[in-house]
Amino acid sequence: MSLYIRNVSKSFGKVKVLDKVELLVEQGELMVIMGPSGCGKTTLLLVILGALRPDEGQIWIGDREITNLRVEERNIGYVPQDFGLFPHLSVYENIAFGLKIRGYSKLEIDSKVRNLLRIVNLDGLETRKPKELSGGQRQRVALARALAINPSLLLLDEPLSNIDEATKSDVIEKLKDLQKEVGITTICVTHNPEDAFKLGNRIAIMYLGRIIQCGKPEEILKEPKNEVVKRLVASMYILWNKA
Amino acid sequence: MVIYLGDKFGFTISLMAFAVIIYMLVSIFYLYVAVGEHWNLVLSALLDSRVHGAIFISISSALLVGFLAIVSSIPVAYLLTYMEIRGKEILETFLIDIPQTFPPVTEGLVYLLMFGRFGLAYTYAAVIIAKFYVSAPFTISFASRRFREIKESGMDIIARSLGAKTSHILTKILLPLSARDLIAGFSLTWARAMGELAATLVFAGAIPWVTETLPVLIYLTSSESPQVAIAASVIMETLSIISLLLFKFIARRRY
Repeated sequence: MSLYIRNVSKSFGKVKVLDKVELLVEQGELMVIMGPSGCGKTTLLLVILGALRPDEGQIWIGDREITNLRVEERNIGYVPQDFGLFPHLSVYENIAFGLKIRGYSKLEIDSKVRNLLRIVNLDGLETRKPKELSGGQRQRVALARALAINPSLLLLDEPLSNIDEATKSDVIEKLKDLQKEVGITTICVTHNPEDAFKLGNRIAIMYLGRIIQCGKPEEILKEPKNEVVKRLVASMYILWNKA
Repeated sequence: MVIYLGDKFGFTISLMAFAVIIYMLVSIFYLYVAVGEHWNLVLSALLDSRVHGAIFISISSALLVGFLAIVSSIPVAYLLTYMEIRGKEILETFLIDIPQTFPPVTEGLVYLLMFGRFGLAYTYAAVIIAKFYVSAPFTISFASRRFREIKESGMDIIARSLGAKTSHILTKILLPLSARDLIAGFSLTWARAMGELAATLVFAGAIPWVTETLPVLIYLTSSESPQVAIAASVIMETLSIISLLLFKFIARRRY
């Protein structure tokens, strides 16, 4: 489903972390929000998730306004930076968590979990505990766990920051494939321009609590709206010219 | 690991540490030395019905206080973790730090004034009430600290995003992840409750098989028949050491 963020602001004390943020993410799109540390991107993610309430503005998923809904009522899949796996539960139990709560039968849970294990390529690891997994495997468990509840929206916070450089491009490809296969509207937050340009269908550039430009990667490179955007994506020109 | 004890300062520091360690260990084990060859006194005390009563009242009340501490620490820790109000730290000080350091004699007197008119003084319930106030804060403190750690890890929000309500957060996330901390808190609560003297003596008195605990028995017999007091002390100390080591073993972290 599509996501519409309308005029959302959020302050902590006197610091305005989100300043009238406007963003529309189309159904099935992979939108990357990119910006330097402290620009408010994680706060925006938490506001969408419902862990933080905005001071003003509205959030819509499809034609449903979710601004005042609790986290558990929003049906949003969330994968935090550290993946946040439940350490006391096995891979299988982690993925089944949301399904159990929703009261699915054992049979339904089993078929859904097995299917997800196959999709994220974790067959055979279902009895392992999170501490027995690599960074990449943990991320895939967290993804499967988020997807299990059939969410209307998927939020990924810095999905590549805990991944080895060596496996990064592989992970990016898999993430993109998975997102396409499931067809889920996805928002991904990163501070790294290279990751942003490789991952996103579109990129929203965030700076000092505002989204200052939003568009396809090549559009942003061709027509940066101002000097700040130019500076933030500077490293991309070199790569772009190479390609 | 290389321990830097080689230079003068390192040597002095380790010497000081050794002195403290030896002092602490001697304090714990001196009783066994003092009993020396008079072990038969301890054995005969073990046959004394009044001592039996004190052991029973001590252990049963300390266990009960430990369980009550767990049951009451869960909602309190939840509230302290998720409530967003000013002055939370002050509330915490009143719930955790002050009870632990409050003069027990005064506490016994307060309860005597508060509950005396309801006929609660000098009953088994009075033993529980007196011990609970000074010892439950250990469990409350452990539970609050752990709940807060879990909250900071963001696991509760993830669980909520998957549809979990407060009851699920508590039963599927907070409690399983805090089990060991609750046991650790329970063990300290139990140990503190076992050793509590003044509040119990003032509020519950010393009725054998009803309110007389081991510390009360030790206190009352220390001048008239010190051998009983020493024997009871040996029993109590042994119980405390074994149980603390046992709880510590159970409460080792797995994750």
